[in-house]
Amino acid sequence: MSIEAQNITKKFGQFTALDDVSLEIPSGELVALLGPSGSGKTTLLRVIAGLEFADSGIVLFDGADTTHQTARDRRVGFVFQHYALFRHMTVFENIAFGLRVRPRALRPSHEKIRAKVDELLKLIQLKNLAGRYPSQLSGGQRQRVALARALAVEPSVLLLDEPFGSLDAKVRMELRRWLRQLHDEVHITSVFVTHDQEEALEVSDRIAVMNEGRIEQVGSPDEVYHRPITPFVYNFLGNVNLFHGRINEDKDSPAIHDAATGDVVYVRPHLLEIHRQPNGGPNFRATIKHINSAGPLVKVEAITEWGAPVHVELSQEKFRELHLIKNESVFIIPKELKIFQKQVVS
Amino acid sequence: MATSTLVAGKVPSARTAATAATGEPALVRWILTGVAVVFLTLFIFVPLAIVFSQALAKGMGVYWASLQTPDAMAAIRLTLLAAVIAVPLNVVFGVAAAWAIGKFDFFGKSLLITLIDLPFSVSPVVSGLIYVLLFGLQGVLGPWLARHDLQIIFAVPGIVLATIFVTFPFVARELIPLLQAQGQEEEEAAIALGASGWQTFFRVSLPNIKWGLLYGVILCNARAMGEFGAVSVVSGHIRGRTNTMPLHVEILYNEYQFAAAFAVASLLALLALVTLVAKTLVEWKARRQLAESALWNGEAV
Repeated sequence: MSIEAQNITKKFGQFTALDDVSLEIPSGELVALLGPSGSGKTTLLRVIAGLEFADSGIVLFDGADTTHQTARDRRVGFVFQHYALFRHMTVFENIAFGLRVRPRALRPSHEKIRAKVDELLKLIQLKNLAGRYPSQLSGGQRQRVALARALAVEPSVLLLDEPFGSLDAKVRMELRRWLRQLHDEVHITSVFVTHDQEEALEVSDRIAVMNEGRIEQVGSPDEVYHRPITPFVYNFLGNVNLFHGRINEDKDSPAIHDAATGDVVYVRPHLLEIHRQPNGGPNFRATIKHINSAGPLVKVEAITEWGAPVHVELSQEKFRELHLIKNESVFIIPKELKIFQKQVVS
Repeated sequence: MATSTLVAGKVPSARTAATAATGEPALVRWILTGVAVVFLTLFIFVPLAIVFSQALAKGMGVYWASLQTPDAMAAIRLTLLAAVIAVPLNVVFGVAAAWAIGKFDFFGKSLLITLIDLPFSVSPVVSGLIYVLLFGLQGVLGPWLARHDLQIIFAVPGIVLATIFVTFPFVARELIPLLQAQGQEEEEAAIALGASGWQTFFRVSLPNIKWGLLYGVILCNARAMGEFGAVSVVSGHIRGRTNTMPLHVEILYNEYQFAAAFAVASLLALLALVTLVAKTLVEWKARRQLAESALWNGEAV
């Protein structure tokens, strides 16, 4: 089922959580709403779910207006950030809940409910914990139960609010791969909220990057990462070096002019190269201040000739080859620069 | 259940365990404990013992006989009737009010909380007088009631009304912190799963507050049966008709029928003891639940 949100505005008192936001989600896609806290991503998700009503704007499911339907009528599966499992019910009863509360005419028989729950328990690999209470489960297990509970009612849309937000890094990694696999099997239109750019890039088909109640860019992970259209998107998706200045094409002078009135130049740390010699291309000089070689990449902090800090990432092989040492003066060659006009930033 | 018991056991002990920094010398501890024990003995245990010894002073025969007089039976019946009406009404009201306060934000919320507390802060005698001034013959609604041949003051309805008023806050006060601690995510989840409002309430909200609710009901019931002041003002003390147990005790005592007075009083004392035991049990359960939901929310953050 496709989802379309048109011109959604939502205010909480003086605070504008969503400011004329429009978003289209094609059927069967897994879409991430990515942004820092307070960017309105959870509010947008709740408006889509019908748990929150927009001050203006409409929400369409498969082209049908659902703006005035409640969450109950929209038939969405919602997974809450803190799981919201029913604490007095077992895992089995939690998953069966959505089926048991159906009107008598639509309610499946006891055997059918049992079969459905068993099938879901198998899907989330928790078959042996059906009789446990939520308080006896780990965070990752609770999260999977919450997901199974949402899927039990066979929703047309699955909405997940920071699904892995409160899990530790390792479990998080496993669960998000599992979610991706699950989506490839079930193919239900899904939207999930996250503040973790890595998570969004890894899991989703498309990403909507949000900031201050607006959508900055919508696109595939590749698009938003490699072709960001606003400084915010560039900044939010991955580390970045930011210089105020102007690009110099002249080979003999520094590649970047430091100027307070110039444009803003963005360059990712791994797109900077360190050299001992200026090999002809545009470059600038810098002094190495700190080296962190733990991890897959070596992170080098340096100070440019005009006094700005710069971060460079290079491979371990390259690092060993260069024998870089602290306080050494080197040449930095940018391989790719992204320039945003001054007006865009301010 | 292993983990939850462990957790529940940990929370209260962490609260009461003396650490090196807050511990007191043995002498101080013994003196403080001693003072508490002497005080309890003088003011609680001795009076309680006297109630029962006086009640049985003239033997079991007199004890049973004084409970079985028509007036005593009528008083017991009336007390039970008042409680049977007042407690369910206050449960409905208390749950509704606590629900509104705990789960929603609305204009006038703090005013509502203050109003719920009003019966605690007003003297019971004043509470009774309010009804006399409203429904009495000289009261605001008195002439209208008289024309329609309805009697509220010096009759059963007045006693029930006064009982409802003084027991008003018990259930709501118990549930408000519990509902606030639990938040509304579970209800939202239930609704998103297709549950109706009533299904959400009976299947999700109510099971989550049941121990707190039971605790409130026990306190509410104890007060409803034991209320003296407010009921005394509106009752008119008509024997066999508008006398509740506490009022009956007073009348017997004033007539120097000590054994009979203490026999009825011993029933009230028994009720108090039963309440105390039930309260302790439920309190323990409820505290465990509150600790669990605190842990639940805390852990998730």
